[in-house]
Amino acid sequence: MTESGELIQYLPVAVVILMAIGFVAINIIASAVLGPSAPGAIKGLAYESGMDPIGSTKKRFSIRFYMLAMTFLLFDVEIIFLYPWAVTYSQLEPGSADARLYLGRILFFILTSIVAYIYAWKKGVFRWD
Amino acid sequence: MDLSPYLPLLDPSTAQALVGVLLVVAMLHVILGGCAYGVMLERKLSSWMQDRVGPNRVGPRGLFQPLADGLKFMMKEDYNPAGVDRALFILAPAFIVVPAFIGFVIMPWGGEVDITAIVQFFGLAQPNATYPVRLIAADINVGVVYLLATGGLGVYGVALGGWASNSKWSFLGGLRAGAQMISYEIPMGLTLLCVVLAVGSFNPYDIVGAQLAGQWNIVQQPLAAIIFYTCLLAEANRAPFDLAEAESELVGGYHTEYSSMKFALYFLGEYFHLITGSAFFTMLFLGGWSLNPFTGYDLPFAATPLVALLQVAVVMGKITFMVSFAMAIRWTIPRFRFDQLMRLSWEGLIPASLILLLMVAFAVYFDALNYLWAGSILCGVLIYMFSWIMPSSSESNRRIKMIGSRFSPVVDGEGTLAGRPAVALDDRAMPDPRQGPISIH
Repeated sequence: MTESGELIQYLPVAVVILMAIGFVAINIIASAVLGPSAPGAIKGLAYESGMDPIGSTKKRFSIRFYMLAMTFLLFDVEIIFLYPWAVTYSQLEPGSADARLYLGRILFFILTSIVAYIYAWKKGVFRWD
Repeated sequence: MDLSPYLPLLDPSTAQALVGVLLVVAMLHVILGGCAYGVMLERKLSSWMQDRVGPNRVGPRGLFQPLADGLKFMMKEDYNPAGVDRALFILAPAFIVVPAFIGFVIMPWGGEVDITAIVQFFGLAQPNATYPVRLIAADINVGVVYLLATGGLGVYGVALGGWASNSKWSFLGGLRAGAQMISYEIPMGLTLLCVVLAVGSFNPYDIVGAQLAGQWNIVQQPLAAIIFYTCLLAEANRAPFDLAEAESELVGGYHTEYSSMKFALYFLGEYFHLITGSAFFTMLFLGGWSLNPFTGYDLPFAATPLVALLQVAVVMGKITFMVSFAMAIRWTIPRFRFDQLMRLSWEGLIPASLILLLMVAFAVYFDALNYLWAGSILCGVLIYMFSWIMPSSSESNRRIKMIGSRFSPVVDGEGTLAGRPAVALDDRAMPDPRQGPISIH
């Protein structure tokens, strides 16, 4: 019987990462070598529906994206903490005192992020109109 | 053939890793071929749905079309427009292809096969050792976490590609794609957690094994399955969630400035995401190679080589079905608007998946895992009935009030309209005197 999760089981992951990098490198180099090359000043302009580009591209963008990213971090970190809990909790005996303790703690943990979530909602983080 | 004088004897976990390497090399090529013909399948399916013929010129029935497309991509000019951030511009396709490629290694393709006879044939068997190997590339016990981690990496490719392109279309597309992908990652992680809670393990084999012994997860947790599939489509940037490359508003989105093989890599990444996503859906909710959605007789876990072949075929069949289903969705459902997309995730799917998670947690506590399906349906009814409690959003699609437009007419001192016909205030179409009043219905 093999044991899941030994370090050698990550060998295929290393192989596939190398293969993926090689695939990308070969394709990009091949098209650069095989394809024609005819640069030009007009051709090099960024596409702006046929007009000459106006102004810089690196403009400021909406504050909503920042607030969304921060709210995402809140939930993503919460999910990371929930994963080890999920495996431990589901192996406890159902209805035991330990299970009750684990369930109560995670309910409080989720409650804290729900408070933040409602706050963000009330502040209009999720409004895009 | 006795190789023992030249090579060390294999221990079982090394044998598993070597089989994994063979499998990963084989499956990578199978999925790459699947991507090429997935494009073909999508074009054919869409043409059938729209009563067209589709590609039929290159080769018999147009079957060589993907090869011709690949060659054409290769022979086109690989152009770097002026003002791009060269290093990031070239690296960005790699950032989308590499995470897409490495995700599928935790996908179980079949059960356990005994290869002791083969190892003994090469004379590498340790005395008294058996070599049961699993048909999975990387038999790691944190499979689900790995899946989530590689899925989250995909956002770098689109965000960097949009940033490096020095084009406003690309920039907006990259921003949109970034916001969309991180938004849909949360409900995806939470519904995945529902499955992990019910099964009690991260290991893909335990998840499939639980579904072989019991019911499929799509039967047990239908609502979680629907939410997960929705998030899958959004993560892979597939319609109806392809806002990042909405050609009617953003030209090409984040790959507007890309040409030649770099563009093809973006395209390939999308189809690879779609195929691996369908594979994960098969593993998590459709029971892997399980044939019976309910409890009862099923394909075994430990298999003879012939049964293993059947298992792989069943998995492949389910993946093909899910890919075709996603394509049918693409050509059926219109694209979302961006504010609708964000609201669906943040104000719909995230609360719903949190409620589902709590439901599963209580079901584990009360040892009621066999009645999860009832809980799932109950949650759906509760969400539908009590959605009015949630804080309401502002009405979307408000008309932008431009002074002097028909939505914000100029009013003179007496409060009357300054020289505008009354019909300009009305949103309806002007009646045509020749045809009588226009009826929209």
